[in-house]
Amino acid sequence: MSGNIPPASPAGARSASTGPNGTLPTPTSSAVVNGVGPATGTAPAASSGGSSNPPLSQQNLNQIVIDYLNKKGYTRSEAVLRAESSNQAIPPELEARPKETGPPKYLEAYSRLEQWTKDALEVYKPEIQRLLWPFFVYSFLNLVDQLYIRDARAFWNKFQEQFRSVHEHDLRRLEHTLLPEHQEENGLAKTYKENRYRLPITNASFQYLMQFLESLPNAWYKLFIQIIEKYMDIRQVSRATDDKFSFEAILRRGQEDQAVEDEGIPGHKPGNAISSTDPNVGNTLAALKLGKLPMEKELEEDVRGDLGELDLEIPPVPGEPTLVETHEKVNIKQEEDDEGPTRTDIPYPVSTARDVAMEVQRIRENRDRLKLEGRTGGVGPGLSCVIYTFHNTKDHITCMDFSGDQSLVAAGTDMSYIRIWSMDGAQIGTDDAGQPVNSKRLIGHAGPVYSVSFAPSSIQPPNQQVETKPQWLLSCSSDGHIRLWNLTLWQCLVVYKGHVGPVWDVKFSPLGTYFLSAGMDKTARLWITSKASPRRFFVGHDDDVDVVAWHPNTAYVFTASSDKTVRMWSVSSGAPVRMFTGHNCPITALACSRNGKLLASADDSGNILLWDLGPGKLLKQLRGHGKGGIWSLSWSVESTVLVSGGADLTVRVWDVNLPAKEGATAKSGDGVKPDGAATTTSVTAPAGGAKKKGKGPSVSADQISAFLTKKTPVQLVRMTNMNLILAGGSFLPENYVS
Amino acid sequence: MDIDTVKDVAESVGILNLNKDVTSALCRDVEYRMSLVLEHAMKFMRHSQRTILWSSDIAQALRALDVEPLYGYESTRPLKYGEASIGPGQPLFYVEDEELDFEKLINAPLPKVPREISFTAHWLAVEGVQPTIPQNPTSNESRNLELLPKGPNTNPALAAMANADNTTTKPQVKHILSKELQLYFEKVCSSVLDEAQPEYRIAGLASLREDPGLHQLVPYFVQFVAEKVTHGLQDLFVLTQMMHVTDALTRNDKLNLSPYVASMIPPVLTCLTGRHLGPNPGAVGNNTSLLDHFDLRDLAASLLKHLCQKYGRFSHNLKPRLARSCLKTFLDPRKPLGSHYGAILGFGAVGGGEVVRSLVIPNLREYEDILRGPLSGSEGDLKKAEGEKVVSAILRVLDTMLMDDVPRMNGHTDDDASALSERLIEQLGETIGKRLVDSGNVALAKVVLDA
Repeated sequence: MSGNIPPASPAGARSASTGPNGTLPTPTSSAVVNGVGPATGTAPAASSGGSSNPPLSQQNLNQIVIDYLNKKGYTRSEAVLRAESSNQAIPPELEARPKETGPPKYLEAYSRLEQWTKDALEVYKPEIQRLLWPFFVYSFLNLVDQLYIRDARAFWNKFQEQFRSVHEHDLRRLEHTLLPEHQEENGLAKTYKENRYRLPITNASFQYLMQFLESLPNAWYKLFIQIIEKYMDIRQVSRATDDKFSFEAILRRGQEDQAVEDEGIPGHKPGNAISSTDPNVGNTLAALKLGKLPMEKELEEDVRGDLGELDLEIPPVPGEPTLVETHEKVNIKQEEDDEGPTRTDIPYPVSTARDVAMEVQRIRENRDRLKLEGRTGGVGPGLSCVIYTFHNTKDHITCMDFSGDQSLVAAGTDMSYIRIWSMDGAQIGTDDAGQPVNSKRLIGHAGPVYSVSFAPSSIQPPNQQVETKPQWLLSCSSDGHIRLWNLTLWQCLVVYKGHVGPVWDVKFSPLGTYFLSAGMDKTARLWITSKASPRRFFVGHDDDVDVVAWHPNTAYVFTASSDKTVRMWSVSSGAPVRMFTGHNCPITALACSRNGKLLASADDSGNILLWDLGPGKLLKQLRGHGKGGIWSLSWSVESTVLVSGGADLTVRVWDVNLPAKEGATAKSGDGVKPDGAATTTSVTAPAGGAKKKGKGPSVSADQISAFLTKKTPVQLVRMTNMNLILAGGSFLPENYVS
Repeated sequence: MDIDTVKDVAESVGILNLNKDVTSALCRDVEYRMSLVLEHAMKFMRHSQRTILWSSDIAQALRALDVEPLYGYESTRPLKYGEASIGPGQPLFYVEDEELDFEKLINAPLPKVPREISFTAHWLAVEGVQPTIPQNPTSNESRNLELLPKGPNTNPALAAMANADNTTTKPQVKHILSKELQLYFEKVCSSVLDEAQPEYRIAGLASLREDPGLHQLVPYFVQFVAEKVTHGLQDLFVLTQMMHVTDALTRNDKLNLSPYVASMIPPVLTCLTGRHLGPNPGAVGNNTSLLDHFDLRDLAASLLKHLCQKYGRFSHNLKPRLARSCLKTFLDPRKPLGSHYGAILGFGAVGGGEVVRSLVIPNLREYEDILRGPLSGSEGDLKKAEGEKVVSAILRVLDTMLMDDVPRMNGHTDDDASALSERLIEQLGETIGKRLVDSGNVALAKVVLDA
């Protein structure tokens, strides 16, 4: 029954996720560890003794004795013992069974744990509450594993409610895995069982936990210890060393359900792509080259020459830099500490006159853009937003893209075709009867189209003769194909086959030539347009790869998956270089900042997380979007402002630079309020935060503005090179289905 | 999932005695499979950027799981659920599947073609502020949503905005009118309508004519005029003053009125061709005062001419529209003579000789029928006076033809006078023709005849 979903490829990025196929667990197999490490029994003995190895049971004891005899050379005694014990091997088991008095008391034990966390000192509470979720999951899984289905369900129903808000997605997936076979098959349950749940906790809290566990009745103690030993990876950290574990930070984390990057399944070091429970592995992060990709020498010279001419032709307004100066600032200047990839790392075709023209236009737009200087006087920049509202769609539009020159908009539909309009209504071709039309249909896919992506293009600069219009469009569909369409012939030129099952996302590289795809087969692939087979496989995600994104220097790519991780891969080596965990829902959008240093990822529940790529850390969390998915993210030219649009009918603008810490905002408030007021606010903060919790998502202070549309879920936001926001969405009147 | 359901299904395929353990295991498995399908379907929904699960998503999910999809459930129309009771408190829901007559289905007219997908663009925000246009939600709709950050950590500036009612909308225009301007507006409005003190009126109008910086008030004045005209049709003084205000505004060369011309025209047209201007005939017995409205019409006509000359080039259809409305009034025999008078003057004002030639002259013969009654005096003195006015107006507009016509040769009077008058009468009808002949204006007569 499980053969329907393509199995994870063995070349996993994490050793943990691709272990050998274990045998079916039997009822006895997990009531095993007894506070004693299970690893003492030597491997051959364990396998010869069958799959079950009861704790300190006859067999283990025998093994120890046999080992002892063997060591001492009492071969005859050993043989006798072996013979006798093999006869006895079954009867003690049988005897042991009836002794078990019903199912393990997870329900009672867990109730006690819950009670204890409630009563805990405020100091420990926020941290200790985080223990509940892993204990809950593993208790449930263990109950199912031991076939106590009714108890498992009762346990589930009693305690699941409190996790609804944060772990809803996981709950939904685990809820019906009520047979061990299902656990084996269910990706999530398997992930939980095959990995250790990582949980950093301060020393003091850990001591506190141990005190509690030791105070429990022996049977309950065993239950918990067993979970901790088998499934958890509790890391003790000291408050002094890490900023994130300062008292203040922990308190804050407790109030708002903040994303925690270092907690959870794949038990990896935060940011690092290597996952291992060995504390000595994965302490060093792979070095990244986040700088700009240097320009080709000839291209640079041509661009400089053309810009110089343009400067003479249209002299800059006094006070403005010339185009050549802008070019030097944008393309040549490297900050000392970022090293960029070299051209040899990623081969590109020799640049053409079109590349020169596009670069010239990019420089012009960069100089003439609306400059965003961040917050001035506490108020963020006022941005303008044009929204393209699609009518009569009946929600059939599944994806959109704007071309780089803002002349075309492409929309994929779940009726398998793609439609392209000119954004200004200009004629873009003729229909069959030879009449001029302003839209074209691209027909070829055999299933809903899930993503469309234009190849780079720009407005044609004044002194260039070459066309810089968009020429190519990529699309991917649930039929497993990726198609490349030519936008002058309006024909499909290439079909890229390779993905098994639906392809969820496809993205052209910012420089063209390459593109990236991801699909239900848990892989992401890198292609070059001229070859029919992929150049790189990015394998390692435990679930569908939903979204992909490019780093602006094209040396790295990002993938986000339903397994709730975001990963960063090196294009040249194909190796994973970073992994980010912190989302609790499937990720719906990704975008790397234009300066190449930050990554934004947004999920189904309306959270946006900002990641600092270099150190591989969570920078901050932006909250405000309602539930239902953020479909698109886009960065400003300066990488200081992030724009997001989603199913909650809003376009939101976020300040990236404002630090997430409370202290900073309080400081900005100082100028306005008297000092006394400022201090009182910070004191009353916890109470306010706790109260708000019940009322759904609060809006974080980093939000600059939110623009509500009229019943139009925002499917695409794009900041142009001039810092204008373009948005697109389908207007959905209430009764659109009928 | 109910064990009985599993049993029922088992029986339906011929397995009668299913082991209880097997049933419960099957039951759980079915439950799990269903949640698996749902989970997959949610993925398809999410990737279609939707928040409503469709049956097509389920079909896609089944296909992805290598299961034959369920056919016949489409999401193009909402599913109707029927309810059947199989016992107390056990309602059973099923999808209603209505029976269709094949014959009927084939012969039924084709359903309407769905409307084409199209798109429109509008400003969702301009410099961080959402303009209040119909495409954007009103502040009421957005108020319930928590759009701006609240709580202790937030930016004080933004928090202050969040408390205000119209957080993200532009304030209404009236608010940005300075106190002084508002005061000025009220003063001018009251002074131009001051019947007792002419010097106030003159001062007010002069200020409108001369003062710079009134641009913000223009829409208010235009609206003021329109309002006064609609509500003051009985009061010739008010109407006349409003015409003067309009005139004063158009003379102010610091103002650019071209965007407002469309709104300024209707009051002027009302004063020109209105049915009843001034007090009711029944209310005042005095004949002279009943003819006063002709002066207003004269004023309106000249104002219209001025407007056409000054702003005609900004709007290509201004003159045709005016001419059309004048023609409509002119050709409507049920309209009073006053309206006709205005319409005739209107022709002259809008297009001069050209319009008169093509629109007035061809209609004059028929118009004669309307005039004959009043002019004969059989309908009373007032009617006669009005008729005379109309005739004079016709002659006046005919005159305009002469003005813009090329000068003729001097002393070109070869034609026989009687023949000329005959032809004139033939073309213009008896009344007008005779008048024209009487006036002795040969040049005009010739122009008319040439037309």
